[in-house]
Amino acid sequence: MNTKTTIRNKGQGMFTKILVANRGEIARRIMNTCREMGITTVALYSDADRSAVHVLGADQALCLGDAEPAASYLNIDKIIAAARETGAEAIHPGYGFLAENPDFAERCEKEGLVFIGPPSRVIRELGDKTIARQTMIKSGVPVIPGMNRPESDPEVLAREAEMIGYPVLIKAVAGGGGKGMRVVATADELHDACISASSEASGAFGNGSIYLEKYLTRARHIEFQILADNEGNIVHLLERECSIQRRHQKIIEETPSPAMTPGLRKEMGDAAIAAAQVSGYVNAGTVEFLLDENGRFYFLEVNTRLQVEHPITEMTTGIDIVRYQLEIAAGHPLPITQEEIKGRGHAIECRIYAEDPENDFFPSPGKIVFTKEPSGPGIRNDCGIYSGFQVPVEYDPILSKLIVAAEGREEAVNRMIEALREYVILGVRTPIPFLIDVLRSEAFRKGETFTDFIGCHFPDWKPERADAETAAIAYIIDELAGKKERPVAADREGVYSSPWQTLGNWRNG
Amino acid sequence: MEYRLKIDDTIIPVKVEGTDTDTMTLSFDGKAKNVEYSRISDHQIHLIIDGVGIQAFIAGESDEKTVILRGVPYEVSDADLSEQVRKGKRGPAAIPQEVTPPMPSIVVRILVAEGDRVKTGDAVIVVTAMKMESTLTAPYDGIVTKIHVVEGDKVMPGEILADIEKDEERPTEEEDGLADS
Repeated sequence: MNTKTTIRNKGQGMFTKILVANRGEIARRIMNTCREMGITTVALYSDADRSAVHVLGADQALCLGDAEPAASYLNIDKIIAAARETGAEAIHPGYGFLAENPDFAERCEKEGLVFIGPPSRVIRELGDKTIARQTMIKSGVPVIPGMNRPESDPEVLAREAEMIGYPVLIKAVAGGGGKGMRVVATADELHDACISASSEASGAFGNGSIYLEKYLTRARHIEFQILADNEGNIVHLLERECSIQRRHQKIIEETPSPAMTPGLRKEMGDAAIAAAQVSGYVNAGTVEFLLDENGRFYFLEVNTRLQVEHPITEMTTGIDIVRYQLEIAAGHPLPITQEEIKGRGHAIECRIYAEDPENDFFPSPGKIVFTKEPSGPGIRNDCGIYSGFQVPVEYDPILSKLIVAAEGREEAVNRMIEALREYVILGVRTPIPFLIDVLRSEAFRKGETFTDFIGCHFPDWKPERADAETAAIAYIIDELAGKKERPVAADREGVYSSPWQTLGNWRNG
Repeated sequence: MEYRLKIDDTIIPVKVEGTDTDTMTLSFDGKAKNVEYSRISDHQIHLIIDGVGIQAFIAGESDEKTVILRGVPYEVSDADLSEQVRKGKRGPAAIPQEVTPPMPSIVVRILVAEGDRVKTGDAVIVVTAMKMESTLTAPYDGIVTKIHVVEGDKVMPGEILADIEKDEERPTEEEDGLADS
């Protein structure tokens, strides 16, 4: 294995310049690996992102224009033109935006640019959740009981729901990120829920098609990271459990899963590889499953991209997934076999969003007044912000991903709690105090993690503010102990503003 | 010196008893605490309270500060200052400057009508964001010439909610607003 790595390091057949068609922490993370491999990086940015972290760290950066995603990070023509202009040979799409857009991948293929991900055909087939279900059924991968084609006729949907048995889950054919998903408990709620799910899906994906699946009330979300090369070699990099979700969106992920046994891992890992095989998968991907209380697992979907939570797998396997993505995209065979892949220790990721956990996780955009990142053994922070950064309202409000690794689960949980306590972000709301309480809870510590965890254990969460006197002391000392000397003008900025700022929302008539 | 600080709807009276260069005695309900402190930066203070160390991270101004202690945020406001705001006793500099909602909000009440005369600091529109209501006030004396929103509208930071014609810019002298033109 080592010799192969050394040979490949000499750069034979590797890209010399890569354009990263994404923003924030993930663009920065991809560029880190590029730089380690001696590859020049090109960043793209919208008007709102001139000073974003991915721009600051790139070798070259091109402006796409208006902040509106359709005019910038989703604009295929502009991105292709940018690759042409800069001479990039390959495009890494990150996650979100165009990462799972088959038209974009196809356009790259036609333009002779390497799309770092699976072929467009695979993205298209797996992107349609009902086609993906049919494919899995054919290859013997267990799927959740439900429909295998989209449906819009309310009567057919009602009949199907009766057959499946309530509760049912409405899902968008083009689904992702919890959009267009509704849990329906009784028949009389079905009609309205279908309409609202379909309209949400239509807004999010430009495709309002929906279908129904049985809703598993107490299940774990377990996924397998896979890597597949162009020669048909496929390995999985073990599992991740991502059951802690709010609004069908993950916020805490860990590996290994506390529910996993060697036998089940083998079985699910084999199913993941079968899923990759039958779909003709190439590059990095993730096969998602639900695991019910009885240890039965069901195929959910394949995410045909680098996953948000990929770092925990990197922490336990020691494999740089982005590096492997680039190697595979450059046509190199996988240098490792399944037997060589070993997980070591335990890793946890917490997603830090600009959102208010005391108010239904409502987005909380704004300016980062001050931030201090945690550090120490086994701590990694994939971060997209800095003190003074204005968090744009136009994009996903993820600020950073805090990842820890330790010898065992208990040590990792404790390490994460302390890292979160040390992580300071002033200016926007974050779920940090919520995440601390989840990790401290008995249910989490015992590994009783199911997708209904937050609704079950933290329905109306508020932090325990036990130290109000210390907060009062801090307030008074901040008032009385002079701040650092600053010029008068700067000192007044934001407090006493110029007439134009004063006018704010008002305009002279 | 005495403060009445509000945290989570509870008023905490604090007496500052003795101050030295880097120590302070503060008493809560007659119970004194000895505080050693060191300012690390504008937003970071190290405290040793009765011998126990803790770091506090702070943002905001006198009327309201956010204090983060071991990952938990506390909103601390000066109850006396906020009462003055309610009574309208603060000077011009204390008029809220940020009339832009800090985040996407919803208009809950419109307190004026087109043609109304408003004075600096008068409440004009109430918006709610994250269940917290904030009142947008007139930045100067004038006449409301146009209201661009209705109750229930979603508004974004930077959006203009109402036009106010400033007094000085009007050629005629102040009247009942609608009378002349």
